[in-house]
Amino acid sequence: MAAVDPSTAAAVSPTGASAAPHGFSLRQRIDAWFLARRTPSDQITLSQRNVYILPTRAGLMLGVTLAVLLLGSINYQLNLGYLLTFLLAGCAAVGMHVCHGTLRGLDLHLQPPEPQYAGSAAVLRVVLHNARRSTRFGIGLAVYGLRSKGKGKAATAIPWAWTDVPGQGQATVEVAFQPPRRGWHPVPPLTAETRFPLGTFRVWTVWKPAAQMLVYPQPEAHPPPLPAGQPRSGQALATASTQGAGEYDGVRAYRRGDPLKLVIWKKAARAQAAGSDDLVSRDAATAQRHELWLEPAAAALPDHEARLSRLTAWVLQADRLSVDYGLQVGARSLAPTQGEAHKRACLELLATA
Amino acid sequence: MTAATHLPLRARIGEMPRDARDTLFLLGVIALIVLPQAAHLPLWCVGLALGVLLWRGALALRSRPLPNLWWRVGLLVLALAGTWLSHRTLIGKDAGVTLIVVLLALKTLELRARRDAFVVFFLGFFAMLTNFFYSQSLLTAAAMLLALLGLLTALVNAHMPVGRPSLAQAARTAGWMALAGAPLMLALFVFFPRLAPLWGTPNDNMTGRTGLSDTMRVGSIAELVLDETIAARVRFDNDQVPPRYTLYFRGPVLSQFDGREWKAPPPWERGSVSAELRVRGEPVGYEITQEPSNRPWLLSLDAMAEAPDIPGLRTFQTSDLQWMTYRPLGDLVRYRAKSYLDFESGPLRRSSGLERHVALPAGGNPRTVELAQQLKAQIRATQPEGDITPRLVEAALTRLRTQGYSYTLEPGLYGDDTADEFWFVHKAGFCEHIASAFAVLMRAAGVPARIVTGFQGGEVNPVDRYWTLRNSDAHAWAEVWQEGRGWVRVDPTGAISPDRIGQFRRLAAEPGLMAGALGALSPTLVQNLRAGWEAMNNRWNQWVLNYTQSRQLDLLKQLGFDSPSLADLAWVLLVLLISASLAGAGWTLWERRRTDPWLRLLGQARARLKALGVDVPAHAAPRQMAQLLALHPDTARHAALRDWLLRLEAQRYAREPDASALAALRREFRSLRRAPPAPG
Repeated sequence: MAAVDPSTAAAVSPTGASAAPHGFSLRQRIDAWFLARRTPSDQITLSQRNVYILPTRAGLMLGVTLAVLLLGSINYQLNLGYLLTFLLAGCAAVGMHVCHGTLRGLDLHLQPPEPQYAGSAAVLRVVLHNARRSTRFGIGLAVYGLRSKGKGKAATAIPWAWTDVPGQGQATVEVAFQPPRRGWHPVPPLTAETRFPLGTFRVWTVWKPAAQMLVYPQPEAHPPPLPAGQPRSGQALATASTQGAGEYDGVRAYRRGDPLKLVIWKKAARAQAAGSDDLVSRDAATAQRHELWLEPAAAALPDHEARLSRLTAWVLQADRLSVDYGLQVGARSLAPTQGEAHKRACLELLATA
Repeated sequence: MTAATHLPLRARIGEMPRDARDTLFLLGVIALIVLPQAAHLPLWCVGLALGVLLWRGALALRSRPLPNLWWRVGLLVLALAGTWLSHRTLIGKDAGVTLIVVLLALKTLELRARRDAFVVFFLGFFAMLTNFFYSQSLLTAAAMLLALLGLLTALVNAHMPVGRPSLAQAARTAGWMALAGAPLMLALFVFFPRLAPLWGTPNDNMTGRTGLSDTMRVGSIAELVLDETIAARVRFDNDQVPPRYTLYFRGPVLSQFDGREWKAPPPWERGSVSAELRVRGEPVGYEITQEPSNRPWLLSLDAMAEAPDIPGLRTFQTSDLQWMTYRPLGDLVRYRAKSYLDFESGPLRRSSGLERHVALPAGGNPRTVELAQQLKAQIRATQPEGDITPRLVEAALTRLRTQGYSYTLEPGLYGDDTADEFWFVHKAGFCEHIASAFAVLMRAAGVPARIVTGFQGGEVNPVDRYWTLRNSDAHAWAEVWQEGRGWVRVDPTGAISPDRIGQFRRLAAEPGLMAGALGALSPTLVQNLRAGWEAMNNRWNQWVLNYTQSRQLDLLKQLGFDSPSLADLAWVLLVLLISASLAGAGWTLWERRRTDPWLRLLGQARARLKALGVDVPAHAAPRQMAQLLALHPDTARHAALRDWLLRLEAQRYAREPDASALAALRREFRSLRRAPPAPG
């Protein structure tokens, strides 16, 4: 019986993708108009104004059941039957209020979204505050506008994230979604829904957060190794020549053919602990004279997006190896250095390029 | 045997996976719904339902997969075939009940999607209703209330998708909802117009009901004496109960005798002749609540001159003063009536219609016939002229009183000539033996006589003052016809055992083991317990089961409607529902307005500052507001307000916030408003 997973029903809801294309577009238009009317905000308090309620299919079934029970009571003149019917009707009416009350008065707060990579599953964190004394049960959150695909058993369920919010407490929900393209995007509208307590009504709200979200390009899955560094220009070159060869004071990515003694095994161990097989070699002499510049030209791919994708992978690789790297895309460039801030700056540049 | 089996039940349930626990709970609730009606279902249906429930429970306990489609289809076909064999139909009430119960059990084998679960819930509600076909007693109501709460608990639990919520939590929510829904239930129950059945329902015979019937085989009333169930309750106007010995409640009148059995003539033989009722004195007013008898007659205290008013039921009076209905009374009926205890009826002169009241089967009861001739001859010897009926009756009663006849519950076996055996062999009998033997004697002497069955006596329930008639109060007496008077009642049992009539002592069956033990503890305890329980049942009958259209209209009359109709009921209901929904809306509105009093005060302060020309951001704290206020031209009034704001802040963040301090701040804020603007 606990197989009653609300998401199952959501998957077969009549608003499924089976609607005709015409109706679908009309619905989309209505949705767009509807969303445009709301002022975006990262914090929302749910009230009558933004909480909606409609009976579910089970609710309609309950209505039919009540009608049949009433007919039976009339036809067989069962006063106890009347009592049963009316008590059930009373419970359903109270259930409607309870259902609406589960969302009404709830505070939703979107935590500033972390940057995400395009194409991979991302999460939005929403904190739900319950000022009431009693627990609010069975609240689901999801990205608004996701529709189930297919019908019946083939339908993929909307990924609801279910939670209870304790009385005078809060709960954090991670809403999964698939970020669209790279760049700055508004956070997608979210929806919260509940069917507690009887499942006869669906109460929901639509919330348009104001926050913007940065989506990095999708890193290439199997990028080629980092390109070789380039000779430094000007003063750097002069300094290098004065120091002479044989000084081990730089590192670079492992290249095929590097002697084993050049591999920095300490770093290799650390990298392996972080889940990477990349090796780092000591850069004798050349390190000071070469610096790593990442640029689309080096990616050697025809497609712009694919090149950005490879550069993203390289930035991540270089960061993992703790080598200095610089980035140049179009007219914008970031001087070679390393560190978390630099990595983020590089990724943002790639995202918005 | 694993260690788990030794754990206490609570701990074992706590260890169960949520799925198994929820399923077992639902199965338990379904069993609670099915079991009370098990006695009325075909045996195979109960067996199949319980078997399936047990099977499903075992599968849930072992976390085994559900049976496949073939099993379910096979069982369904089996259930349909069984229903067809049991009822010869698949529609109609009994077949419907059987099907609902079987389907409810079978559906538990197919709990996959949410829709399946809902089907189980809704079938469960139907199966609860079918219980009421068989019993609407207080106990049934209590069991079904429990079952309803169980189903609601399961439903609520099914909508708590997170983790493993406790069933107690779901039960609390369900109980709260039922409690909050009760006022709505009450309003609907009281004001929803009671309609007549919308279409004819086959009147299924409720078999196994005991009580009076329209035949009297000698010995049948003695069986009734063991039956302590209540036949009717009477509320006399002003609680003025007539003397107990006068309380003869008239049931079927039996005038056809075949030697062993007295029968009521068919209604078409009785309805054509007027009853010719002649009454004297003041009538007794009363209200009688008759338990379902499944017989087409009403009980009446002696002679009812006018038809009682029973909504939806047509009544007529037969020539032998019995009130009949046009359909058997399958439900509780209640009616008001006026009865005359002093009355006579029937023709004053001997007419042909009386001849069938002297008919006796030829050759039966020869010794009684001989006795009748003897008595007749003795009386004729002293009174050659005129009607000798009164003296015949007197002679028979004297014989009963003086010749060693006795009143007993165990009269022994009677053969074919029951009157002969009573008068000459056993000399002992129960009321029907006595009445029957008396009537046969009278008929043998040529006096028209008939048997009346009904109830005599009764007792008052000390708790609610209702006069209670039990099946054990069933009685049979005789009526003889006299020239110039008509039919006159003669109760020959009273001649033998005056105790039976008018006294509180009657022959009672031996108490059962339990009652015996309780009775030994305290003789009055059993009686008091029974009186209390029956008073409770009576209240249930009066207020719930017998809440009819006429009572609804009475209620409206009390509410001030002049000539209430069903439409008025609907209006009242509509007004109530609208006001209830308005109240609900008002409550949510109030809830929305309800903010923290401190925040409300802060909002008022913000508005005041705005009026003073200070623009304050929406979420400014009091201190910030005070700082903003300080930027403006300073007056004494501003200073006071600044000071007030800082104290407002102090109140909020005090170690032990003091509500009275807030009230003081609020008063101060109001007085600040009233203060005249400072000069300058």
